[in-house]
Amino acid sequence: MKFINLICLFLLLTACKKTENNLTKITAKNIAIDSTIASSAKIDSIIAPYSRKMIGEMEKVLSYAPYNFTKKSENRQSNLGNLMADMCYEMANAIFKDKTGSEIDFSMFNNGGLRAIISKGNVTQEDAFNLMPFENELVVVQLSGAKIEELVTYFIDSKSAHPLSKEVALHIKKDAYSLQIKGQNFDKNKTYNVLTSDYLQGGGDRMNFFKNPIQLTKIDYKVRDAIIHYFQQTDTIKATIDNRVTL
Amino acid sequence: MKRRNFIKQLGGAAALSMVDSLAIPLISGNTQRQITILHTNDTHSHIEPFDADHSRNPNRGGVARRATIIEKIRQENKNTLLLDAGDIFQGTPYFNYFGGELEFKLMSMLKYDVATIGNHDFDNSIEGLYKQLPNAKFDFVSANYDFKNTVLDTHVKPYKVIVKDDIKIGIFGLGIELEGLVGKKMYKETGYLDPIEITQDITKRLKNEENCDLIICLSHLGYYYKNNPTKISDLNLAKATKDIDLIIGGHTHTFLPKPTIVKNLDDKNILVNQVGAYGINLGRIDFYFDENKNKSANGTTILV
Repeated sequence: MKFINLICLFLLLTACKKTENNLTKITAKNIAIDSTIASSAKIDSIIAPYSRKMIGEMEKVLSYAPYNFTKKSENRQSNLGNLMADMCYEMANAIFKDKTGSEIDFSMFNNGGLRAIISKGNVTQEDAFNLMPFENELVVVQLSGAKIEELVTYFIDSKSAHPLSKEVALHIKKDAYSLQIKGQNFDKNKTYNVLTSDYLQGGGDRMNFFKNPIQLTKIDYKVRDAIIHYFQQTDTIKATIDNRVTL
Repeated sequence: MKRRNFIKQLGGAAALSMVDSLAIPLISGNTQRQITILHTNDTHSHIEPFDADHSRNPNRGGVARRATIIEKIRQENKNTLLLDAGDIFQGTPYFNYFGGELEFKLMSMLKYDVATIGNHDFDNSIEGLYKQLPNAKFDFVSANYDFKNTVLDTHVKPYKVIVKDDIKIGIFGLGIELEGLVGKKMYKETGYLDPIEITQDITKRLKNEENCDLIICLSHLGYYYKNNPTKISDLNLAKATKDIDLIIGGHTHTFLPKPTIVKNLDDKNILVNQVGAYGINLGRIDFYFDENKNKSANGTTILV
């Protein structure tokens, strides 16, 4: 009796074995999510209160713009670019000084990184998000004099109003240039601390002179947060075309 | 291997007194079963569709639309799994304001089953991710992140096994190396283990101990790095391992019009898929299983 049971069990289990699930066919199709698909009303109703609250946050007034800040280039500067470079310098320099005891010499960003203008009137949280939608962080690179020369050559050759902070006084002549940094003549044998974003430091916009610096200091501060904090502490934002670049 | 399996089954069955119940599936005989896998990756907090005037993806995406199509597919086949390959966080102010709360709530409503962790999911630090876990009614898997010394310890499993219509599906996760990509103060003591070594262990377990019929890897390693071809990526992982049926990828925002077929270490064809980013696409892969008892496992037809 016992033996028969065992045989039955054996037959059953071997039969089981043969009914293994065999994968016979695979089909695939990636589906585009577009306006031909109706929105789920239930999901929309969950999103709505968040959306309202977010719009409310976005509309929060942080500062005031007495005029438009645009990318309009004049003397290889724009008032928006100057604002960007100066406010990031101001916000980051204090942190950098705390961290290292040294000061930042100047800042440089890319013209393409100015993602939106700031219109005359109230400056809102949304303006900060539009100006800087990315999550880039501020970094300080210590560059040799030779790299600073590369930086200047890049700036001159690009013919673009890449934001430079007001610590720079660059006079571009026909086949030469003169450069002062913080009121001192540029010294090729010195090193300089330049503030930029991690994106540009990594070679973004082909700013290769930022790669492999003598020292790289991450200050753990998002560009957008620096902008928001600057707006919050500034009643009326100001920036004009000045002498940081002259032609 | 057959013998080992048999002995194990005998051991297991001997403990059961209700041998008869085991016989029931035999009667049904020749049935075909279909498992539908739906997946997203790198949704990056894109809750709402892109604006109609968006330069690259006008009118594309939107969680509420994704919900509609997923519901429709579930109605056609209840044996549907919904998976995500990471980078759920960061990309719209919804994340900046609500820290991922809405992303997880909506994914729970869409009935996601399993997700893995992308580098941007650490953007509010590992604590920020941990804080949002109560909003996620789905599981996170990661086999190569070691969370032992972090708040996520025990909250993330290496793999999960789901049974649908008697088909056992093993799903494991792989994450990208965080060092140099994410600030250390964000990921803290999260350890990184070699994806290939871990995959060899996990697939062995899923295949031989869990007896999975289907093994899926949710990967945030990236599809392939043209400029760094030896860097670990989904294509390299597929070639260097065995027993995975499908790698669902992310990180590189690669839009594949259809899955890539790759030969694995056993010279078997497996699939690697990735559907871009921002929820503008939904991946769909259907696996058909035959239960023909007279048939020994032979080839699988892949129609992509």
